[in-house]
Amino acid sequence: MSVDPDVIRKCMWPVCLMGLFVTGILSLDCNLLNVHLRRVTWHNLSLLSRMSKSFPIECLRESKAFELPQEILSDTQPLTRDIKEAFYEMSRQAFHIFIQDTFKSTWEEKHLRQVQIGLDQQLQYLEQCLEEEEEENEDMREMAEDEWTQSGAPVPQLSNLELRRYFNRIDRFLKDKKYSHCAWEIVRVEIRRCFYFFHKFTALLRRK
Amino acid sequence: MLALLGATTLMLVAGAPWVLPAASGGTNLKSPENGSVCIIDDNFTLKWNSSSESVRNVTFSAEYKIPGMDNWKKLPGCQHITSTECNFSSVKLKNVYEKIELRIRAEKGNNTSQWHEVKPFIPFQKAQIGPPDVHLEAEDKAIIINMSPPGTKDSIMWAMDHSSFTYSLVIWKNSSSLEERTETVYSRDKIYKLSPETTYCLKVKAELRSPRRVGVYSPVYCINTTEKHKVPSPENIQIDAENQVYVLKWDYAYENTTFRAQWSHEFLKRIPGGHSDKWKQIPNCEDVETTHCVIPQNVFPEGIHRIRVQASNGNNTSFWSEEKMFNTEMKTIIFPPVISMKSVNDDSLHVSIGAPKESENKSVNQLYPLIYEVIFRENTSNAERKVVEKRTDFTFPNLKSLTVYCVKARALTENDKWNKSSVFSDTVCEKTKPGNTSKTWLIAGICTALFSIIVVIYVVKVLLRCINYVFFPSSKPPSTVDEYFSEQPVRNLLLSTSEEQTERCSIIENANSITVIEETNPIYEDPKKYNSQTSQDSGNYSNEDENSGSKIGEELLPQETV
Repeated sequence: MSVDPDVIRKCMWPVCLMGLFVTGILSLDCNLLNVHLRRVTWHNLSLLSRMSKSFPIECLRESKAFELPQEILSDTQPLTRDIKEAFYEMSRQAFHIFIQDTFKSTWEEKHLRQVQIGLDQQLQYLEQCLEEEEEENEDMREMAEDEWTQSGAPVPQLSNLELRRYFNRIDRFLKDKKYSHCAWEIVRVEIRRCFYFFHKFTALLRRK
Repeated sequence: MLALLGATTLMLVAGAPWVLPAASGGTNLKSPENGSVCIIDDNFTLKWNSSSESVRNVTFSAEYKIPGMDNWKKLPGCQHITSTECNFSSVKLKNVYEKIELRIRAEKGNNTSQWHEVKPFIPFQKAQIGPPDVHLEAEDKAIIINMSPPGTKDSIMWAMDHSSFTYSLVIWKNSSSLEERTETVYSRDKIYKLSPETTYCLKVKAELRSPRRVGVYSPVYCINTTEKHKVPSPENIQIDAENQVYVLKWDYAYENTTFRAQWSHEFLKRIPGGHSDKWKQIPNCEDVETTHCVIPQNVFPEGIHRIRVQASNGNNTSFWSEEKMFNTEMKTIIFPPVISMKSVNDDSLHVSIGAPKESENKSVNQLYPLIYEVIFRENTSNAERKVVEKRTDFTFPNLKSLTVYCVKARALTENDKWNKSSVFSDTVCEKTKPGNTSKTWLIAGICTALFSIIVVIYVVKVLLRCINYVFFPSSKPPSTVDEYFSEQPVRNLLLSTSEEQTERCSIIENANSITVIEETNPIYEDPKKYNSQTSQDSGNYSNEDENSGSKIGEELLPQETV
């Protein structure tokens, strides 16, 4: 399928317009976080799909199983906070990957920019709501802070560690393959899969 | 003999422990204790306690093992250490998220102690955030801060967190040591609202969030702000969305200046390094002489951006103004809802709020949550009741009957931080139903009941008729018989009944006497008897007048049977 980038761009504007009506970061009601996250995640997912016209067949050989840790969200009764933190971890790692500008030739800058903007918005949402929660637990935090600076870092959630390992695998894959075009395409598809997986679990946020 | 042998063996066995060391020629080395690891950024330090430290010539060595390794490897930087701590940062760990096992032992000559195993740990979890690297640049009323994240550029520990650090900064005037303020900044940011020609001091610490981890403060840095610049910077930047454009405004007190405005993506702030310097010129806002400019909406892609403005007075340019952040979503317009009302009872009105009408351009999918402000009042009075409702269907109860009430509503965004509202919808008025409706309902109910009783009675009647017909049939012949056999005698002939037929006969005239003869007999039962009885008469009759007699006889016969 050979579609003119201009056509893609023209089509993307109304879609982006529609999708991004939701993403009023400064207007977020955290009780409806799942609603917004669901849309923003889906929007980013579709941006990732549209970045590239099609997956190059020759890159299939190099594809690798990154083993997305699905068990982190399929645990029975995960806490809402854990889900939010997992989302946040996933968002910032994805952002970290897409701000490395070693892919100038792979994708159009416009599309890349939109992905970066979209991911940043996702981050801002989560930061705002996680901050609100932290403010509620402010007293506890201040007490704990003194302990932390003395004895070292607190133990992060286990799920976050699994996510980090997963993204570390992706990161190392990119480095090992020297940021080749195929490597980037494979990573793009993988992160899209990851977003889809997380999108399914936005429903879990609402139930709590 | 045997006893001797046994005793020797016993002695050997018992003596073995202290014999062997004696053979090796040294005291029993105690293994180190309380091994612990301290990690700051990429600096790995191993510490331990040892009771045999004070003994001379005792050294310590450590080994490590990571998953995927079969054997223990020597820990570089921790071989034959005389003190009780060593730095093994030169271990180039590929993966800081894997568990590491460490063990230490004491050595003296050829003598080694037992291995003391340190509790396995994940380096990332144990790592502490070190101080960030700070570079400062002074303006007259602001300080530009440029920070590098903790650790080196190719830090292994924070490789995936470069863009996740936030920095907490404390700044104060050198003259007064009261801490002036604390701000959370990005890696390249500006501190505004400072006084010119003043020495300011600050210190910064880096933080990671979720889970929250706070770093160590950097050393204190001090810098002087410059003298007041000749050309002041524009202030109070505002941006508004109107129709299809953005209007950018700012304040500037002086004349004969031209301005230019630049914009940048908000997300670039997160990225440390020179990325945050990617400012783009806004068309229509270059060399403008007014304190505002109009920007078409397609200049900015959707998202959050920052704008800054600079003034220029001939040869001199001002410093850049404060950066104003704006979200392109502000240009969305909330359309007024459609409201309708109907009277439910004599004392309440039901209101329903519908989706806003479509605009000429396109239907706006209002996907963000809205609440509605409803103004409710009696038509004749001006007293308004304001209700804020999240639901789209609700009722106003306890109203007066036969009164006209009017209502109008507007939509608001639910969040207080961003106050956006639509215009009011059209006013809709409705009259409540008349009172005493309950009485009329009662009467109607009674009528209905009566009517239904009548209907029931009728139905029961019909049913009974049917039942009677089926189970208790009457003796009337069916009508078809009447049709075909209308003459009485033939009918009597065809149908047999058990009914006894009584006939009164009277002799009008008789030669002998006037007698009343009563005959009760069906024709078939006793025809002979009958004939014999009446034969005389009939004979008489027939003798006198054969025709008439026989006729009468004939007539008589069918009449008997019905």
